Amino acid sequence: MKGLLTFITGFVILAFALFLAVITGDYGPWYFAWLVGTTMIVLISASGAAMFDRQDEELNQKGISSR
Amino acid sequence: MDMLINPTVVELSRLQFALTALYHFLFVPLTLGLTFILATMETVYVVTGKQIYKEMTQFWGKLFAINFALGVATGLTMEFEFGTNWSMYSHFVGDIFGTPLAIEGLMAFFMESTFVGVMFFGWDRMSPKAHLVVTYLVALGSNLSALWILIANGFMQDPRGGTFDPNTMRMQFTSFVGLIFNPDAQAKFVHTSIAGFVTGSMFVMAVSAYYLLTKKRRDIALRSFRLAAIFGVISTVGVITLGDALGYIDAHAQPTKLAAMEAIWETNPHTVSASWNLIAFPSRTEQKNVFEIGIPYVLTPLLTHSEDTVIPGIKNLEQDAKPHIENGIKAMIALKAYNADHNDTAALATFKQYEKDMGYGFLAKEFAPDQDLAKVNASNLPSVLDKTAKATIPNVWVEFWAFRLMVAAGFFMLVLFAFAAYYSLKNEIEKHPLFLKIALWSVPLPWIACEFGWITAENGRQPWTVYGWLPTFVSASSHSVSYMIFSLIGFVLLYSTFIAAELYLMFKYARLGPQESHHHGEEPAAGGGMAGKPAFAKSSMNRS
Amino acid sequence: MDAYVFLKVLWWLLLGVLLMGLAIMVGMDMGVGALMRFVGKTDGERREALNIVGPHWDGNQVWFILGGGAIFAAFPSLYATSFSVFYIVMILLLFSMIMRPVAFEYRSKVPTEKWRNTWDWVFLISGALPMIIYGAAIGNILEGVGFHFGWDGQYYQTESFIWYLLNPFAILCGVLALTMAIYQGSAMLMIRGVDPIYSRAKKIGSVAGVLSAILFVVGGIWISAKTGYVLHDADPSMPANISAAQNVTREAGAWLNNYHSAPILWIVPLIGILAMLAGSFAMRAQKAGLAWWLGAISWISILGTVGISMFPFLMPSSDNPAQSITVWNGTGSQYNLIWMTIFTAIFVPTILAYTTWCFNVMRGKVKAPAASDDHAY
Repeated sequence: MKGLLTFITGFVILAFALFLAVITGDYGPWYFAWLVGTTMIVLISASGAAMFDRQDEELNQKGISSR
Repeated sequence: MDMLINPTVVELSRLQFALTALYHFLFVPLTLGLTFILATMETVYVVTGKQIYKEMTQFWGKLFAINFALGVATGLTMEFEFGTNWSMYSHFVGDIFGTPLAIEGLMAFFMESTFVGVMFFGWDRMSPKAHLVVTYLVALGSNLSALWILIANGFMQDPRGGTFDPNTMRMQFTSFVGLIFNPDAQAKFVHTSIAGFVTGSMFVMAVSAYYLLTKKRRDIALRSFRLAAIFGVISTVGVITLGDALGYIDAHAQPTKLAAMEAIWETNPHTVSASWNLIAFPSRTEQKNVFEIGIPYVLTPLLTHSEDTVIPGIKNLEQDAKPHIENGIKAMIALKAYNADHNDTAALATFKQYEKDMGYGFLAKEFAPDQDLAKVNASNLPSVLDKTAKATIPNVWVEFWAFRLMVAAGFFMLVLFAFAAYYSLKNEIEKHPLFLKIALWSVPLPWIACEFGWITAENGRQPWTVYGWLPTFVSASSHSVSYMIFSLIGFVLLYSTFIAAELYLMFKYARLGPQESHHHGEEPAAGGGMAGKPAFAKSSMNRS
Repeated sequence: MDAYVFLKVLWWLLLGVLLMGLAIMVGMDMGVGALMRFVGKTDGERREALNIVGPHWDGNQVWFILGGGAIFAAFPSLYATSFSVFYIVMILLLFSMIMRPVAFEYRSKVPTEKWRNTWDWVFLISGALPMIIYGAAIGNILEGVGFHFGWDGQYYQTESFIWYLLNPFAILCGVLALTMAIYQGSAMLMIRGVDPIYSRAKKIGSVAGVLSAILFVVGGIWISAKTGYVLHDADPSMPANISAAQNVTREAGAWLNNYHSAPILWIVPLIGILAMLAGSFAMRAQKAGLAWWLGAISWISILGTVGISMFPFLMPSSDNPAQSITVWNGTGSQYNLIWMTIFTAIFVPTILAYTTWCFNVMRGKVKAPAASDDHAY
């Protein structure tokens, strides 16, 4: 039951996101660009930070701590 | 008889609005960007579960709080000033312009003010995921706030979604879709929001550089530096792209702004070889640049994204304005006649014919004999047309240089962020102390760019408050000079005190840095006191 | 009824609700600010008084900002004219609205007596002044305001700023607003405070309640002798054009016309007078919660009384009565009001939902403010 609810919630959010994307894509190309761009900036810089921790661990294994 | 507002009062009202808006805009971009950077840091925390990212989010959140409170307090001034100083403007376009402002309050401002309190004080009261959602809601709320304000501003730049109604003597709202999907509003929102991202990145990067230089909390500083550098480099590319798009949109909606931005006096029919002014000293009286350094073959593709679109120069635009002015005078005379007698269908028909140019009629009032358009006749018409046509051009010198300073700061930051991201990704940033120093001292640049960007946008809109419809000198309230001096002195005193307190707190807490703790798993020491706790942060707190 | 007329009246009612809400909630915070020096003799007592409104004052202020935007959109010409015509007063109001948050933030940050004493004065001024202004502005509006419009809608003002403040009726209204704020603030101090604040607030509040009732009655008698405005041949569905002439006359006692034509309306001011007196007794009987609600009812009644007596006027012009701003000519267009209604209908419940959620999340676990607590004022 809980799984179904999560699924439905996820589906509603997805449908809403798609609806938003279609509307903004049609009428507001720049608004659409902002939605996509901001998501991209957040994700890329977040993974950049996560990568820092991997690099850090690798260096630690080699015995040189960067931190 | 129609009186003009005392020109000194108009100038003082403009000065006051510009000062308070520029001041407000010192706090806004950091709020727009830092909220998303906080959300990014917290995302890493929630995904990886590493405590250090929670500590980072809380530390930068503390600096954010100092800034947020003043952004809100000074925003209230802007809401008041449309009414207190721009009464004709508010009456003339309030039906359209007021609506996005009201929606901003309902949809965005309330959301950000409510959730910001939970963001600061709710860490231990909900799951990390729920808290992350709250942080994203604050980020979204503050950017939605910017969206609605810039939709309102977009209407001033390129009036869409409403039209003048001679029966109510004001512009009336006719299309919600037209208003919110105005290309100027769209591009300007993205440009401004991402300029906020750049500001936030620069702030985090510069303060991190300071910690790296002074060897404080390297764990936090290195990670923040990495995140901000990447955030910054992509955002700067975005802000430049959108700036270019905005220029392209302005080329259609506001040719006078574009010509002034580039100090183009003469139309160059040779579109391919037309040169772009890198440096120019424009002179209004001589109607040319007394000195210029241009780069040939750049102008047309840069501004119009084509090879053969002719860009009209200022002198041409002045000539082009004359028929509009002539029609505008007819429109205003007809409108006045219709207003005196609503059965005068002939007057209404004349007005409808020239309606689109009525703003130019308003503009001509200043130069008409006794400020009365009815007294414009065949003999004085050419001189009225000449003077009014010249008045359609914004201050070229200010526009040209404000624009260039903004662009120069933007490109410098792009280079800076690119190097920063490169060094950081190679994990060798600490080997470049000189670069760190440059990064630290570049901290004012995004603010300079934002302020000059505002000047470019709003000075370039002159002489209009609503482009093509309502001139600035008509928009003001008819106050006495003493009223204006009173309020100006008040603002200067109050705002100087505020900025002193803000800078004191900002420097104090930035210098202090995050609390020293060598164990990643440890909770930070109670946040070191929420000195910068925002004024509006606790609306959701119950301390009974 | 015509949809546009319906929307005009709806937004007139919403404007009333907004003004009532602000008077009750923001007025209460300001009352506490104005009283702080008197109910609190020591620094500890003053901090206690501040922290009684501490959790809520800023939320109330957000509503105030929201209200400003709503008036701009729904009553553009009223917003444009009233903010300009009361310029100095509005600027002072603005200054105190942005000083107050700073006073809340900074007062307790530095422990010297001089510092805190200075901020206590700021609280007194930024609490009392806006309330006097609020009342005086309503008083001035009842008397008619000196403005008119050019044919193109440009507003002109003829009276000087001093005239507004030095006019006795406006001062009476200003003092009434202040006593009501003090009453409401006292009720709040009693609800959440302990002795000695409790008993001091009780003493001040019960006097303020009786005083408010007296001032309200005097104001009512005074207004019945004053010149009011009458709108003839009203056309409620007219296009909202402020520069067009309406048929308005000025007649002595005209502000009571609506009561004469529908005597049932007398109940509104009557309830107010009873509520103010009953509130004073409730305070004396140590029923603080009841007193607070009676105060809220009093505010609703006071503003309701003014609204009823002025309807359909929003801001009569003494310069050119024909250009008075009324409910019929002062609103936004129908299209605009429809969108405003849609957004209000969607977002006010949304706001209430998430503020309730936030309240619940933050509720309960917060400790009572200790001297070292950074979260307290």
